[in-house]
Amino acid sequence: MAGGGPLIEARGLTKRFGDFTAVDGIDFAVERGETFGFLGPNGAGKTSTMRMISAVSPVTSGTLRVLGHDPGEDGAEIKSRMGVVPQQDTLDFELTVYENILVYGRYFGIPKDVIKSRAEELLDFVQLNERRESKVEPLSGGMKRRLTIARALVNDPELLLLDEPTTGLDPQARHVLWDRLYRLKQQGVTQVLTTHYMDEAEQLCDRLVVMDQAKIVAEGSPRELIAQYVQREVVELRFPDGTPPNGNLEGIGDRQEVLADRVLIGTDDGDALAHSVHELGIPIESVLVRRSTLEDVFLTLTGRTLVD
Amino acid sequence: MAAVAHAPVRVQSPLARTAAVTEWHARSYRRTWRATITTAFLNPVFFLLSVGVLLGQLIDDDQAQLGGLSYVEFVAPGLLAATAMQMGANDAMWPVMAGIRWLRTYHAVLATPVRVGELVLGTMGWAAIRVFSAAAIFTAVAAVGGAVPSPLGVLAPFAALLVGLAFNAPIAAFSASLEGGDDGWFPALNRFVLIPMFLFAGTFFPVSQLPNWLEPVAWVTPLWNGVELCRMLTTGDVDALLAVVHVVYLLAFVVVGAYVAIRIHRRALLK
Repeated sequence: MAGGGPLIEARGLTKRFGDFTAVDGIDFAVERGETFGFLGPNGAGKTSTMRMISAVSPVTSGTLRVLGHDPGEDGAEIKSRMGVVPQQDTLDFELTVYENILVYGRYFGIPKDVIKSRAEELLDFVQLNERRESKVEPLSGGMKRRLTIARALVNDPELLLLDEPTTGLDPQARHVLWDRLYRLKQQGVTQVLTTHYMDEAEQLCDRLVVMDQAKIVAEGSPRELIAQYVQREVVELRFPDGTPPNGNLEGIGDRQEVLADRVLIGTDDGDALAHSVHELGIPIESVLVRRSTLEDVFLTLTGRTLVD
Repeated sequence: MAAVAHAPVRVQSPLARTAAVTEWHARSYRRTWRATITTAFLNPVFFLLSVGVLLGQLIDDDQAQLGGLSYVEFVAPGLLAATAMQMGANDAMWPVMAGIRWLRTYHAVLATPVRVGELVLGTMGWAAIRVFSAAAIFTAVAAVGGAVPSPLGVLAPFAALLVGLAFNAPIAAFSASLEGGDDGWFPALNRFVLIPMFLFAGTFFPVSQLPNWLEPVAWVTPLWNGVELCRMLTTGDVDALLAVVHVVYLLAFVVVGAYVAIRIHRRALLK
């Protein structure tokens, strides 16, 4: 299967549960070879979208094509060419690390000897070969995640779906995982992931959509989104009594966001702005000048932070 | 971006996928079999010894009600069917709940080309293997102990298999329907449905002993139909027409149960 149109294409994609609209008429397309992200807070509709793509959740309305097929009609065909890493681990704790891959591979009809050699490669790839005969239960969260990824790769998928791949992992485990996902990208595996971590989206995604309240509110590469919606830099101000003195900051910078514990000011020249804030003479506890991130994009678009 | 050679898509039969699900359960079971060997094997044999042999010695052999059988010959097929019921039922309770809601292992299966029907039938397939093996061992032990007078007894494990599935399939449907994951229903099912059947539906005494109004209630239970079928086979006292009625009745529970179970699993898993 070479070339052709996008690997995933959605038009007016909608998912309703009773009266509740989880996904509200979204459009997007994922091209072969790219890493595509859904960024948004919990409850934005990311997981519902992923479940529709993975052909386990019927589309309420709109159209969805995955790997050239309709998930409602050819679910098994799509699933045979796709790998899924769900948000909650679904490993079998009664089985060993190796058996988890073996059993999973059988569902795809892969012969045992093929699975065996493939499991060898995959466990090397996710750095779990020493734990091959270990049970799953005692593995760390990061190891379980890596095993889930290895399992999802057993059918050599063209498309890998990852639903919040690093949620709940410690920073070191996250970096190991990011590194593996980057390697997969280099090998040409198209990846679609959801995350509510902006650093993860920046690190991994070629292109992403920002979701909020069941809708897509922005779309582009991380760099494009930052260029389009926010200034180059952000000055973060914290005040001794927590809240900023009323009115004193008016007219400073291009954009201000007042959060519970700090004020963020968007500007193209952070140092100059920090300097002029000092000259106001108001009591300030700390000033931090940093580059704008996707978090700032999200804040600008929705007035809320990603992780509450 | 360099093109990657992906493994060719494999065409696979529904039967192979169903078997892959059964294989999964078999592998999982290899680590937990010690815990279940008691219910599957020791308990029924203990019952046979205590009730069938030791208590049975107090009962005269030529009781008209027992149709000329010794008590142990009478009770052995009853225990066979009741064990099959208990195993078939238990396999459809907590394990199904765990697969759908607690461990979510069923969701992992459905991320692959396996369809819901294959998942449900493959899981039932494993219950079938378990019930049949336990029934075969029990029948052999009972035969060695002289509680199986007829050579037709070799067919009794198949009858027991039917009993096990007649409980397994509808209860799998019930377990999948428990939306909130409330496993408090399972002890209730045991206490108010399965154990009363075990005690009153022909395992230990002929249902003609029951009060007249209660006897027809026993007739509609799948366990009574199973006990009667097993008893015909182990004693060799077969009434062909009645045997067919029992088989069809039990099969109806299996087929309708499996059909409903697949539908409810689909609703629970593919939201």
